[in-house]
Amino acid sequence: MLKIKHRELSAVQDGARSSLQGEPEMCSMKPGSAEMPKFRKSILQGVAARVDKISIDGLGRTKDDFVKEQVQDVFKARNFEEVIKKAHEARRKLDNLGCFRSVGIFIDTSRGINSTRDGLEVIFHVKEQKRIVGGVNTMVGSNEGSLVVGLKLPNLAGRGEKISAQYSYGSRRTCNFDVTFSKPLRGSLSPLFTTSIFQHASEWPSSGYKMLENGLLLDLSFFSGQNIRHNLQWEGAYRDLSCLSRSSSFQVREQSGPNIKSSVRHILSLDHRDTCIFPTRGILFQLTTEFAGLGGNVGFLKNEALLQSNLQVIRDVVVQGSLQAGLLNRVTDKAVNICDNFFLGGPLSIRGFQFRGVGTHADGNALGSDAYWAAGLHLFTPLPFRPGKGGFGEFFRSHFFLNAGSIGNVNYADDFPHNVKELTQGIRSSYGFGVALRLGSMARVELNYCVPLLVQKGDLASPGIQFGIGVNFL
Amino acid sequence: MKLSKFFCQIMQIAWLSKSYLKMCDLNFEVEQRYNAENMSPSGRVPFIKCGAFLISELDPIISFVNNKGISLVDKLDSSDKADMRAYMSLVNTVLGSAEMYICWCDKTCYNEVTKPRYGSVYPWPLNRYLPYQKKQQVVKKLAVLGWSQKSLDEVITIVPLPSPVPRPSDIDALLYGHLYTILTSPIPQINDKLANIIRGHEPLIKFVKHMDRKFFGRTTEVSKEYVPLVTEEADLNRTPLDHATDQQSTRGALF
Repeated sequence: MLKIKHRELSAVQDGARSSLQGEPEMCSMKPGSAEMPKFRKSILQGVAARVDKISIDGLGRTKDDFVKEQVQDVFKARNFEEVIKKAHEARRKLDNLGCFRSVGIFIDTSRGINSTRDGLEVIFHVKEQKRIVGGVNTMVGSNEGSLVVGLKLPNLAGRGEKISAQYSYGSRRTCNFDVTFSKPLRGSLSPLFTTSIFQHASEWPSSGYKMLENGLLLDLSFFSGQNIRHNLQWEGAYRDLSCLSRSSSFQVREQSGPNIKSSVRHILSLDHRDTCIFPTRGILFQLTTEFAGLGGNVGFLKNEALLQSNLQVIRDVVVQGSLQAGLLNRVTDKAVNICDNFFLGGPLSIRGFQFRGVGTHADGNALGSDAYWAAGLHLFTPLPFRPGKGGFGEFFRSHFFLNAGSIGNVNYADDFPHNVKELTQGIRSSYGFGVALRLGSMARVELNYCVPLLVQKGDLASPGIQFGIGVNFL
Repeated sequence: MKLSKFFCQIMQIAWLSKSYLKMCDLNFEVEQRYNAENMSPSGRVPFIKCGAFLISELDPIISFVNNKGISLVDKLDSSDKADMRAYMSLVNTVLGSAEMYICWCDKTCYNEVTKPRYGSVYPWPLNRYLPYQKKQQVVKKLAVLGWSQKSLDEVITIVPLPSPVPRPSDIDALLYGHLYTILTSPIPQINDKLANIIRGHEPLIKFVKHMDRKFFGRTTEVSKEYVPLVTEEADLNRTPLDHATDQQSTRGALF
């Protein structure tokens, strides 16, 4: 058991204070019981309290200094309400370390020689993760079914280091793996260092190519300000493109072959939404800047921005507006491969079009472009007549949407107005309605009836029912 | 019949198909791409692009041209044609495999010529890895034929040298392609035994010179103090090497 003693806080001891009546109050909290009735809150605020001692029970291989940092804030509490709040916060922090299976809080009056009059002792009961966690499961994706074997070594050396490995073998003999090592670093910005080695095989029938990617990714993430996350990444990848079939277009064929991409990336994300899926309020902003060309034979500068805003108009009815845009510059004389281009269309972006169905096609293969923008306006409401209200029905939303966007190549030799014209004249848009289903806390499934409104020459529209599953939707 | 647009994309030395197309008097353009091998529908070079069609390797190219009504062998009877096919397959398997062996399995040649050449178009880690990967593939393929364990001297003794036939036919294109490649590739001297065997075989040298003159309008010096003539675009990246070796000593190994 780790015991942390209170450092002397002189100023707190003075001033009015009311002591607890009768027997010392004991409070044991279960996870998720954060809400307190109002009347109780006012009483608790009036109860002076000082945390004398914090104990953490159940530590095995986890190092003391690592958990100490997380619970230090609890000492700052002045009254009983604050103790509870701070203890909760500490519990959340301990949970986020990923080292513990469960964290319980127990608050008691402190006893012994060093105890003060209003002294409390906060005890965290933790259960450490096992040394090895593993699993075998099957997964059915868009192209194939696969067997996934996962293995995780959490909290390897006692300071939150983690190695996780995942290997999947598909029915079409594709083999993907991903070995990741991550370590939280010390610092006020909660930095996290991650490195991974991966092999990833993907097939893009709409563009007529498949790709095998082997690479190394180094990532350093940290927070600056509330919810503003930065990721600094370096990625070196060996990518082998090949044609999916004999009928692949010659423009796609020309780009097949191995290449090496070495790029640095900065991702800024600001997430003020209440949840990831079906948020009711808040904004999400993401800005990705990637520069490729530090070695290798692929070179470009790629900027992509995403903005999503949610607004609850009346109870349970949410309006969501989103805007995405991307620009790819050829800053070096190195090549830009088809897999680096932007694509638009499909159930996850502009609905009512085939996947990657907006923009230039050659022999039915989407070739992608240098620049794009896309916007969406959504109205989420609960299911009509609210079946399964408060329970299963909360997983569903009915959903009306209006999507618009455009994609094109930007020619830097041309004048600016011409480039703007390229992206503003050929607007594609669609509208429709459907049902969206939440899968866990990350993914979303949509079944929509779509009506393409504006279709340009060369686009592949897909009016009618469209099904989409994914994480990031327009 | 003339094909107005005949377009050919070639990476390495693709004389086989090139000479065939020349013999058929077809117009074509040569393009070199670093990823020609990956572009080819069958994964082998050379290949041609004619309109929307992509045809790779010599046999399919011959049948494609035949389908267009052009043939070099329409005067031959069926038994001659069958003989020709048999010879072609012999040349392809044996001479082709011997070339593969020299390029990929012979250490000196691999390190000095094949590896730098094959990897030259790729950036750093790939110029080491891809030749190695290709080598593994070739070794595997040769192992199936039982060639991989042989020594260079064993390999060159099993190479049959067919005699050219008087009339131009499909096999001439094939034979010329192989012979020209062997004779003019800058192989390190000690390992250039195969070329020396061919140099010692007068009819073959005559044949190559004749083909050079007739279809490519050039003369190739294939004997001592040889320097290849740079006449074609595909030749530009070649470094002329001195192929002078002692012909006399290897002549005995011929037949």
